[in-house]
Amino acid sequence: MGQTMAEKLLSGHNLAHSPVKAGDFVEVRIDGAMCHYQFMDIHRLAVEAGFKEGFPRVWDKERVYLLVDHHQPALAQSYADENVLIRREAKRLDIKYFHDAEPGIAHQMMPDYGYVRAGELVVGNDSHTIAYGALNAGSTGITRADMMYVLLFGELWFQVPASVKIVLEGRQPNYPIAKDIIMSLAGKYGDDFAQNMSIEFTGSLVPQLSMDSRMCLATQGVEVAAKFAMFPFDEKTREYLQARTDKPYEPVASDPDAEYEKEIVLNVDQMPFVVAKPHQFGNVVPVDEVRGTRIDQALIGSCSNGRFEDIEIAARMLRGRKVAKGVRFIVSPSSQQVYLQCLRAGLIEQLVAAGVQVVTPGCGVCQPKVGYLADGEVCITATTRNFKGRKGSLNAEIYLGGPLTVTAAAVAGEIVNPREVFNEL
Amino acid sequence: MNFDLNRLIRGRVWKFGDSVDTDSINPYYLYSTMEEMKQHTLESFRPEFPKEVRPGDILVAGRNFGCGSHRPGVVLREVGIAAIVVESASRLFLRNNIALPLPIFIAPGITGIINDGETLEIDYSPGLVRNPATGASVALRKFPPMIERIFECGGLPELARQRYLAEIAGGAQDPRHESGP
Repeated sequence: MGQTMAEKLLSGHNLAHSPVKAGDFVEVRIDGAMCHYQFMDIHRLAVEAGFKEGFPRVWDKERVYLLVDHHQPALAQSYADENVLIRREAKRLDIKYFHDAEPGIAHQMMPDYGYVRAGELVVGNDSHTIAYGALNAGSTGITRADMMYVLLFGELWFQVPASVKIVLEGRQPNYPIAKDIIMSLAGKYGDDFAQNMSIEFTGSLVPQLSMDSRMCLATQGVEVAAKFAMFPFDEKTREYLQARTDKPYEPVASDPDAEYEKEIVLNVDQMPFVVAKPHQFGNVVPVDEVRGTRIDQALIGSCSNGRFEDIEIAARMLRGRKVAKGVRFIVSPSSQQVYLQCLRAGLIEQLVAAGVQVVTPGCGVCQPKVGYLADGEVCITATTRNFKGRKGSLNAEIYLGGPLTVTAAAVAGEIVNPREVFNEL
Repeated sequence: MNFDLNRLIRGRVWKFGDSVDTDSINPYYLYSTMEEMKQHTLESFRPEFPKEVRPGDILVAGRNFGCGSHRPGVVLREVGIAAIVVESASRLFLRNNIALPLPIFIAPGITGIINDGETLEIDYSPGLVRNPATGASVALRKFPPMIERIFECGGLPELARQRYLAEIAGGAQDPRHESGP
């Protein structure tokens, strides 16, 4: 019997050196561990467990990445104070890959810096760590206690996931549709259709998808409850990695006779623009169903949609147009490297000229940190989640949309079908 | 603290629906201290929960419990929740509860045998969850020995500490493979 990507990857990392199949429990070797701005919470777990001085070691300095991300520069006194402690610990443990003075989101910075390679097993204490599946890595979020174990031993337990094959067919239009794809799937099959499973993306659309789109789809894999969300390794992956790392790697591919729990086919040529209504990711309808919903705020950013193509489509559509009066349209690139890429392409000037607020890279736009909502306010956002209270008030409404749908709403002052506003599409 | 999975758990039920998210369990965005979070946990689904929850209560929910971020359910332990029984759980929330440990059980069909406010019994040893008033029961999914060992050790950080000490002592028994009491 052939193996899925997940079975092959976890078999290759199995400490017992034997092949494993879906459902097995296994202890595996970890290739990369990503810790972010909450590192001190992991440190405190170690202290509580009896390591009075904190971690006595990290298992391998070449495999630990510590990025003080999310909220730079410090958004509150508590962050500033915590960051001092993180710097002290990073120095004491002699952390080699340490970024503490750079705004951004770890899930963009990890690929930016070439810290993730195809075929690796990478964990991070953040749910959106699943993002690196775009690069053909088996990556996933783990808990703080899991991370404490990983930092000491470089090992962790897993249940080998069953796999779901998502076959994407059709043609890539001249604007990004990754967000509409994942929301359409969540709407049709439920926000947990991949519960504890490994997603493998395949189909005629996949080679056409940019790395930005793949990262959006992989990141949002966790919004359909997946453990891994992996893309096949191809020429685009090879080029992306070649520009960022010179370390060797071995891509992972599924066998032709691998067994899948289920197979889902989506043809994007017939896919309408969709939004997720408040307050769950799976609450998805075609955008026309909520047409005319007045908005107060529009957002583009986060680890799902703060990449170049998300910002490029907003800037392109805003050429010769303005953000509607009274609407706050906020854009946050996902890292400094993405920010620079946008600046060099002239996008930032176009956005600002049209009335957009461009804010520092980070996670703030996807949390109630940058751009709170008040009671009764409505926001449409190309970010990761729309849980009640995600942007402050429990009495605010958050709709999720793709960057094009968000930009259309920002121009119209209400939710509309992008084709109504952008006749050039 | 070691946790004995085989101890019978009996308590009053708080029943929730599907896809309860960890932001609502830990509204840390709005409240920074544990004391504040205890006063607001799960209020976005049931405003009366933080005011009326009592130590020993059991939380029952539908599918995909604890979806969203990797934040743990420590606050639920702090307000006294004795166990969580769900149709299905987000994998990260499940990992968090195993690591804490705070007993969590996957019991497909659970929402069909119990109503809000009723008493529920969890009997891990035979793998059953019962409504003593009606006699109805459903099976819970037992954990593999690897996970039971984490509960016995009192959580993953404790197991990590024991393994590390065994390692530096050289040759002492690895806690992962020690048989339970």
